[in-house]
Amino acid sequence: MEPVKVFLDDREIPKQWYNILADMPTPMSPPLHPGTGQPIGPDDLAPVFPMNLIEQEVSTERWIDIPEEVLEKYLLWRPTPLCRARNFEKLLDAPVKIYYKNEGVSPPGSHKPNTAVAQAYYNKVFGVKRLSTETGAGQWGSALSMACQMFGLECRVFMVKVSYEQKPYRRMMMMTWGANCIPSPSDKTEAGRKILAEIPDSPGSLGIAISEAIEDAVSDEDARYSLGSVLNHVLLHQTINGLECQKQLEKLGVYPDVVIGCTGGGSNFAGLCLPFVRDKIHGKDISIVAAEPTSCPTMTRGPFAYDFGDTAMTTPLLPMHTLGHDFVPAPIHAGGLRYHGMAPIISHLVKEQIVEARAYNQLETFDAGVKWARTEGYIPAPETNHAIAAVVQEAQRAKEEGKEKTILFNWSGHGLVDLAAYDAYLSGKLTKYELPDEEIQGSLNSIAGLPKP
Amino acid sequence: MYDHLEIRCPRLGGEVTFAYCQKEGGDLPCPRIIACWQPYFPVETYLRGRLTQPEWDRCFNRPQKDKMATLIELIEKAKRRKQVPDRG
Repeated sequence: MEPVKVFLDDREIPKQWYNILADMPTPMSPPLHPGTGQPIGPDDLAPVFPMNLIEQEVSTERWIDIPEEVLEKYLLWRPTPLCRARNFEKLLDAPVKIYYKNEGVSPPGSHKPNTAVAQAYYNKVFGVKRLSTETGAGQWGSALSMACQMFGLECRVFMVKVSYEQKPYRRMMMMTWGANCIPSPSDKTEAGRKILAEIPDSPGSLGIAISEAIEDAVSDEDARYSLGSVLNHVLLHQTINGLECQKQLEKLGVYPDVVIGCTGGGSNFAGLCLPFVRDKIHGKDISIVAAEPTSCPTMTRGPFAYDFGDTAMTTPLLPMHTLGHDFVPAPIHAGGLRYHGMAPIISHLVKEQIVEARAYNQLETFDAGVKWARTEGYIPAPETNHAIAAVVQEAQRAKEEGKEKTILFNWSGHGLVDLAAYDAYLSGKLTKYELPDEEIQGSLNSIAGLPKP
Repeated sequence: MYDHLEIRCPRLGGEVTFAYCQKEGGDLPCPRIIACWQPYFPVETYLRGRLTQPEWDRCFNRPQKDKMATLIELIEKAKRRKQVPDRG
């Protein structure tokens, strides 16, 4: 019988997080204060973050000790198993070995508590009594709710109203962990009240929810704000995953040719991939792929997809070549990643061509996710499906090239609270709309004046 | 005609209708609406017929800030909001 899982003993859990900033081959531009144009300093962030986390945000120390209290909580579900996807390999029928790190075994079912627990701890020792945050569909909100409960902090989650009404299960998880989950816009903040006065039935947005959470934190000296992605200290905390994985691979005597993670804000991708990025910077021959969610027409449907050109958006829309999602010119593809929600560290690594970004549309990601569920059993979170789509693509390439490859990816969470998404996909509701040829032509005519690749 | 169509929102992590994407920004669409929907119907043409040029510019041509800059702006705004009632 061939083994499927590799575990680490509790005592083998990594005791330090890895900070990629110590190994960046080129320096990152410091974030600038939008008002002064000067680099943002600790005092600018102090109203919303405790100083111990601000120190981590700007730290360039390579290794940062994980506090014992955080390790104790990690041990509730960590180290997570590294698994071999033998059944999926058979389905793909390609010369590949596929390994995945199962982060879906955490209590909220995703990688998010890796930083939620750490942030709750650092806020607690700083003397904070309550954390405030925003959440979309609730993955982050549920992770922080659990973490706050673990360290005796109050937790207030502003959940975008459209998700609050559609996603009762994550809301119930938050409440079960003792958090106060509030539909946003709410009457708890000036920001929320202003929106409600203008649009009483506003379904909310992530932007409104963030405004409410920040205001809530700034208005109470015992409260601080917590963010589940994008920031340096968030990515730092996530590296526990990749560091565990390297130990597990070492036990197997295996090193991957390709490492894949899906990326929205960047924390899930960073968690698995940054320790391997370090290896690559130091000379390892390894491909690191960030699979991002975007919607692109394939070559069979039309030659253009769109994205904003840059953070400056001096070019409002850039046409992107899509060759069946196989290849997108890097500078343009990076534009897709450099939307304001992407972690600066990941954007920088893409710019430096250390990480390759690839885009997958939601129909192919769900197709990959359903294939996964039907072979490996576990139902992936819809975001995780982007990484699985990239695995499928890598396997196809290996087959075409006749090259053996070892692929590692981050199975970042289960989809048991996202079954409505699968229902929408399986019932054909998820953008099954077929674009008539005359409409494609009309659309192309309308952008005739825009720049083309 | 498109309002009922559904898509998974990469920002929220849930399914939303096109109707939601059109008002995600209050009186404006979500800035990602074209990237998300163009493969499925000619959303750019559709929106150009519905938005005025100033609205179009506010939605799609506005400089985008990174997350840290956004946070700082929100902190400053929240601090100002906090100060107003105190003065009253």
